[in-house]
Amino acid sequence: MNDRFTAIAAEAREGWEASRASGREQVNVCLDTSSLARGGAETLAALQEAVAAKGLNVDIQTTGSWGFCWLEPTVSVRSAAGTRTVLYHSVTPDRVEEFVQATLVEAGEFPELALGVVEGAPSDAIGALEDHPFMRGQIRRLMANCGQIDPENIDHYLANGGYEGFVESLDMEPEAIIELMLESGLGGRGGAGFPAGRKWDFLRNATAEPRYLVCNADEGDPGAWVNRILMEGDPHLIIEGMLIAAMATNSIEGYIYIRHEYPLAIERMNVAVEQARERGLLGEDVLGSGKAFDLVVFVGAGSYVCGEETGLINSIDGYRGMPRIRPPFPAQAGLWNLPTNVNNVETYANAPLVLRHGAEWWSGVSDDEAKGTKMFTISGAVNQPGCVEIPFGLSVRDLLEKYGGGTPGGAPLKGYQPGGPLSGVLSAEEADLPLTLAPFRDRGLFLGSGGIVFFDETTSVVDLCTYFLGFAEDESCGRCTTCFQGTQRAVEILRRIGNGGGRDSDLDKFEDLIQTMTWSNCLHGSFAMTTVKLALRYFRDEFETLIREKRDPTRSLPGMITYEITSPGDPALAEAAAICPTEAIVDAGSRFEIVDELCIRCGACAEVAPNAVTVRDRFV
Amino acid sequence: MAAEPTTRELRELVAEYEFERGHLLPALIEIQERYGYVSPAAIEVLARQMRTTPALVYGAVSFYADFRTEPPPEREIAWCSGPACRLRGGDRIREALQHTLGLPLDSQSEDGAYGLRLGQCNGTCSEAPQVWVDGEVVGDLTVAGAVAIARDVKGDA
Ligand SMILES: Cc1cc2nc3c(=O)[nH]c(=O)nc-3n(C[C@H](O)[C@H](O)[C@H](O)COP(=O)(O)O)c2cc1C
Ligand code: SF4
Ligand code: SF4
Ligand code: FES
Repeated sequence: MNDRFTAIAAEAREGWEASRASGREQVNVCLDTSSLARGGAETLAALQEAVAAKGLNVDIQTTGSWGFCWLEPTVSVRSAAGTRTVLYHSVTPDRVEEFVQATLVEAGEFPELALGVVEGAPSDAIGALEDHPFMRGQIRRLMANCGQIDPENIDHYLANGGYEGFVESLDMEPEAIIELMLESGLGGRGGAGFPAGRKWDFLRNATAEPRYLVCNADEGDPGAWVNRILMEGDPHLIIEGMLIAAMATNSIEGYIYIRHEYPLAIERMNVAVEQARERGLLGEDVLGSGKAFDLVVFVGAGSYVCGEETGLINSIDGYRGMPRIRPPFPAQAGLWNLPTNVNNVETYANAPLVLRHGAEWWSGVSDDEAKGTKMFTISGAVNQPGCVEIPFGLSVRDLLEKYGGGTPGGAPLKGYQPGGPLSGVLSAEEADLPLTLAPFRDRGLFLGSGGIVFFDETTSVVDLCTYFLGFAEDESCGRCTTCFQGTQRAVEILRRIGNGGGRDSDLDKFEDLIQTMTWSNCLHGSFAMTTVKLALRYFRDEFETLIREKRDPTRSLPGMITYEITSPGDPALAEAAAICPTEAIVDAGSRFEIVDELCIRCGACAEVAPNAVTVRDRFV
Repeated sequence: MAAEPTTRELRELVAEYEFERGHLLPALIEIQERYGYVSPAAIEVLARQMRTTPALVYGAVSFYADFRTEPPPEREIAWCSGPACRLRGGDRIREALQHTLGLPLDSQSEDGAYGLRLGQCNGTCSEAPQVWVDGEVVGDLTVAGAVAIARDVKGDA
């Protein structure tokens, strides 16, 4: 064991134990981006104010997310005696007063908002958190600290086993670390699942020096926020993982490339890097070992293809973030044309767990072919948009039902997108697939990085295709004609179909595009048509109905519907006319009418006058 | 909002940045944070500092969605383009915003009073459909609510 580390870890542990034995109540307020969007900062301020006003002697601190994103702000309260911690949800600023009264002034509990008991015995009123339906079956390893420690305090991390995996690796030969990673079976979490140990070995065997590491925190897939949860909840886990990779590959510097849409993650990663440097865990002479490794937090500026590893490298190098032509691969020529390894946030974050607990423990979490746990975010037509960590292998339907809380109003599921705009759409008949790599690969797509988006029967599959292809078109870097013109062409055809101008030959045109676009330089182009390809496989009827009958079964495509006033005397119509953004609703004496040429099908009128406005098929 | 940056201020701001160390993007971000946008003068100054051409600097500026080449509007609505928002009427909200403001996405009124921008999902999908009004999330939005916000931002309310 490294002496210097033993000393810092012991000090951190002492501080942690002392704060937990302070004899004061501890209030932990979750402050991540989801919580902030739901008033978390105001809740924190209101709590601080109430505590000060009442002269209470209470410790208030902030933490990352437990994954209950739809129920933020979440707040936990640990009793003064330190024997009991209860987690609460929806502690909005307007509830703070009564919350403080019940939990702090009266030192009791607040069952109405309780999610569960984190520490101590469950009661009749409040069950154990691990028995909460959203928590049951989850295995929190990566997220073990999320919600429980202050992400801006390295001592909290150190006091809970932090950096022990790295210290383990400090005394190991690079080959031995890689051997262990290979034995664990850890696959890349950024989408393709390539074994991390093999990638590290490529870098280890590179001929040039110096070598670099890159942590891909671009998390560009809309609907995915697993990397954000980790960076905002436990940033040191990622630093520790990168340190281990540095030991395995003799790298001297690492870059954490974070999208600019994540300002809080950027801030917390920066704080964490600074604190790690102060403790001697990063720098010229890491923990006195004679080895050097340092980190740079690098902020992106808005580009999806910068998440592609070679686009990302170009972006750091100072060029347009266009994916490079490979070979050479990053392990030979990456940053500044020097050997580089790129892994996703979650990939690095797993390394400390493997080092601390061993490959067998790590991979033994399930008998699925894909090893370890995986974080998923659930969104779209679900009741509970949130973040979970589970072993691979749970069925998509179970994910939806158990953790997503089902669809709103129990509407029939139509399908889902497993992982980002390049991963395509699958129909509800494929909802029994286990969440692991093989079945998706067999169907010609990737499981992806963890953002699963569900959609129900109200959604038009042509609209989804238009959306995802439009995204691919917007984000194409422009290098390949197949990609930037192909996506443009696909969008044109989809729009025409969605406006009632579809032709039978369009489906053949799609087949052509599906073929030609595979000849693109990177996966952005070669997988852009996956959505259309799979939509044609699973939802061909819908295309045919649109093209042949000029009818949209979902009655949602703006080009396929009209808004009509069916009860012209409804008093709500005056308001509808006032809200209409194009003044399409006119008062024709005693009755209101919609001037169809002015109507942009926004639906505002139907929201305010639901009984007077009817949506009709435009062509039938 | 800060006045148009002078060449001298800009030179000082970027004096420590080096192209070879991956500083082009950080320098651009710093310039935009300070002045709200990347002016033509900033492109020239940065090119000199980086010992490269304005073409290369502008190439990077134009590649990334986040960089602005004119001062930002006083008020701005960013519309979430993500899937959860789309599934809950996000695209109808976009139409309504565009028509109410009289602007396409990623543009602003001539007098710089208000603007409309395309925003990316940041994983607050529990709020879908949402927009950011001057940086603050407004979620669970209706189309009618979006029209009201746009009128307010435009000063029509
Ligand atoms: C267009 C495109 C966007 C990508 N975006 C991301 C991303 O945001 N995050 C990520 O980790 N990987 C992304 N990838 C995959 C990366 O290229 C790369 O495979 C990954 O970072 C490797 O890490 P892993 O082996 O740990 O999974 C993207 C790939 C493509 C083609
Ligand atoms: S496939 Fe598309 S994103 Fe990839 S290099 Fe070619 S044009 Fe750029
Ligand atoms: S759908 Fe929108 S544009 Fe058309 S009449 Fe109703 S409010 Fe006006
Ligand atoms: S889709 Fe709008 S926040 Fe995620």
